[in-house]
Order: sequence, then structure tokens, then C-alpha cells
Amino acid sequence: MKHITKKLLSLILITLLLFSLNGCEKKDTIATIKSAEVLKVGCKQDVLNFGYLNPDTNQYEGLEINIAYEIAAKIFDCSLEEAKNKEEFTAVNATTRGPLLDNGDIDVVLATFTITEERKESWNFSTSYYTDAVGFLVLKDSGITAANDLDGKIIGVSNASTTKDAVTEYLTEKNISVSFKEFDTYPSVKVALSSGNVDVFSVDRGILSSYADDTTLLLEDRFKEQDYGAATKLENKELTELVDGVIKDMIADGRLNTYKEQYNLQ
Amino acid sequence: MSKLFDARRWLRLIGDFDQFLLGMKTTLLVALLGLLIALGLGLILGILSCVKLYGFRLLARIYVEFFQNTPLVVQVFFYSFGLPFLGIRLPDFMVGVVGVGLYHAAYIAEVIRSGIEAVAKGQVEAAKSQGFHSMQTMRYIILPQSLKVILPPLTNQAMNLVKNTSVLSMIAGMDIMYYAKSWAGNNGFFYQGYLTAGLLYFLLCFPLARLTAKLENKARQLPTVTTLRMMEVDS
Repeated sequence: MKHITKKLLSLILITLLLFSLNGCEKKDTIATIKSAEVLKVGCKQDVLNFGYLNPDTNQYEGLEINIAYEIAAKIFDCSLEEAKNKEEFTAVNATTRGPLLDNGDIDVVLATFTITEERKESWNFSTSYYTDAVGFLVLKDSGITAANDLDGKIIGVSNASTTKDAVTEYLTEKNISVSFKEFDTYPSVKVALSSGNVDVFSVDRGILSSYADDTTLLLEDRFKEQDYGAATKLENKELTELVDGVIKDMIADGRLNTYKEQYNLQ
Repeated sequence: MSKLFDARRWLRLIGDFDQFLLGMKTTLLVALLGLLIALGLGLILGILSCVKLYGFRLLARIYVEFFQNTPLVVQVFFYSFGLPFLGIRLPDFMVGVVGVGLYHAAYIAEVIRSGIEAVAKGQVEAAKSQGFHSMQTMRYIILPQSLKVILPPLTNQAMNLVKNTSVLSMIAGMDIMYYAKSWAGNNGFFYQGYLTAGLLYFLLCFPLARLTAKLENKARQLPTVTTLRMMEVDS
């Protein structure tokens, strides 16, 4: 027994040592990004009109990608065209975007990231650049046509998203009870919907519309407006202010609206 | 680092710990039922791969090769997303049980086969000369002797089976890893969520690892003890 205690103790000590090594992080400032000559942005690769990796061109495109270019142009003080070469995109999903930001693997997250009070405790958010509402996508042959048909159904949502709370709130008001299954990516929720493992695919309507096809039906319901913001590391105040400034400028001079029109977003 | 030692986050974890316990319950049940399937099927397949009839040996071989050479994730995705298109829908819990059960049956079959083959050929011949038929030889002579060879790798398989149940989290199977991901993601407390998941799996597997070590020691000691007892009986 004594033997084991000793072993466990040394194990704990080694673990602590490893963690303390991890503590020697370098400071994150705009100067670090400038000297690296690259802005690392976490974006979606599977959401049309927001962040989408176009398989034909192998280029990212969407509203959030354009915002990322604007931010890079501001940091490096260059034109939008030049900014495109100083950008490194990493595809993220709802589960990975937080840890990647904390690790310093990415500087900014522009990935349909909804601003919430809880999340503000972990990350900094910019002014919102887009507002969307949550909706429901169902299979046409399921017979579901309105929220009232959802009693007892299984709702598929993305892991680490705000959808679950939004749906619960919306349906509780209507006295409808449902259960949830969480998946890592939107495509896996879609597969679960098609194979019948879940009855409903729920997320923001802008995202849902890119998964709609001729077998699916997007219900009329829209609820719980979600404000998307650009997230930065909690400690990195300097970058947060810069990003927020860029988005505020874009709203003020109408550039943001121009981009939204370009992608048919309201 | 401050995020790892943030007391507020650990307190939230303690408050929501019932979620992790729910996951622990699923993981335990899936592992237990999966182990039953794996042991039963593994024993049958292991014996089949040692019989004289070529057809049986081939059957066992095909099963083992198929399940050992395809990833568990692919198998589980097939049960969960593939079978429904063929009109068969298994609940997630059963997908887990069947998934790890069938997968580990292949490994356990190999463990049992090697255990049977490890018993010296002279034992079979001796049994035959004493009038044992093949079923009796297997039951009274070979299996008891191969047990000491089989047990340590068998507990090792049980441990791997427990860990492999975490594949359920990918199909929303409500196991430890699923709740850890869900909780960590919803709060943004990734250190706390994943460390706790790791700890819970450790708690399940560590006793099995100790048991493996103990059985290995015992397997080494056994022969001398048996010889002594036999001598006493003889005198």
C-alpha cells in the first residue's frame, strides 16, 4: 500500500511539473501577430454564406471570411487584396473553437459564434455583426409540419451550441417536451436526421438553409435571436478592441451591409 | 493555467456531477453487457479455430480478420447510421453493446485460441489414451490448463473494452465522454470536463490493470504448487 501511495505521489508531482512548464506562454499582442505576418482565424468550413470551403476553388468564402480580411487589412495596414495572403484559416466547429482560441492556435474566431453572458466569462466578443433566429429542419415524409407536432420527438443539435437552451425555452412555453442528442458537427446531425436517429435538426436558420434539400422541410418557426460576434482570447484586450473597432466601422460605413447583400443575408 | 485551477469552474463541475454519473452508468452497463457478448462469442470462436473441421476454422478466421481489421468507429457508425437504411434500428445503447461486444469477441477469440494452442500436444494425446473424447478433452484437460495463459490478456481486453465504449460519444450514446463533451462545450470549461472524463475512465480501468498484473504473477507461480499437491495425493 505504501508503495502505491509513493507512486501516486510522484505521478501527481510529474503532472504538476508538466502543467507549470505549460505556464511559460508568450504574451499575445498585436505586435506578435504583426511579426508573424499572419492572422490566424478560426472559421466554419461547412456553413454556406458564412464560412464555407468551396471545393471547386479550395478557397474559403462567406461573410465571416470577408470580415476576417477586413481585420487583417487593419492590422497589417494593407489593402484587402494583400490581406488575403496574410490570413491563415483553420476550420473549427462548436466544440473546438474555444480550446483552439485558448491555446493560441488561432487569434480570432469568426464562426457563427453566438454571444452569451456565460461565454463572455471565457472569451471576449466584438459587437455583433449578424443576427439569426433558431429554426427546425425535418424530413418531408415525417409528417411534422409545425412545432406542435414535436411532442416526444428527438432533436439533434450541435454540441457546445446555444441551440439546446433556445429550443427548450421555446417549446416549454408551448408545453411541448422533447429530448436532445448532441453531435460534434452539422454534417453528423444531418446524417442522423436522414437515417432517422433524430426527428429534427435544429440550429440557426442561416445554417439550416445550407443543409436543406428536396427531402427536407424547414419549419416556419423562428425564435431566440442569436447575435454572432467575433471572439478573441480573454487576456488579449488589445486585439479585442481592434476587432471591435473594425466591425463597428464596417457597420457605420455600410460595408457590412454590402457584404450581407452579396451573400443574400438580410 | 488560471483556467485549470479556477475554483468557480470546479464548483460548477461538482454541481453538475450528476450528468457525469449518468454517463458513468451507461458506460458501465454497456461495458458489462458488451463483455458478456465478447466472452461468450469469443469462447465459441476461439474453440472453433482449434477444431479439426476446416469449415469451422475458416468461419472463425473470417470473423476474426474482419472485425480486427476494420476500425470500431466504422463498425459503430454502420450500426447507427447504416442499419436504419436497411430497416433495422438499434437503440444507441444496443449499438454500444453490440459494437464493443462483436469487436472484442474477435480479440478474445484470438486470446483463447493462443491459450488452447499453448497447452502441450502430449496432454491431448494423454487424454485420448485415457478414453476422453474431444469435448471432454477440451472441457477437463485443455481449458483448465490454458486458463492461466488466457486470464491476463483477457482482463487486458476487458480494460480495452471499457475504454472503447467511449466511441459511443460520437453517435450521441449518452456515455461518460458524451456528457463530458456536452458539459465542457456548453460551459466552455474544457479542462475540467475532459480531465474528469479521463479520471472516471481511469477509475474503471485501474482495478482491471491491477488484476491483470496479479494474474500474471499468479500464472508464473502456479506450476510448483500443483506438482506438490499431486505428489501428496500419490503417496
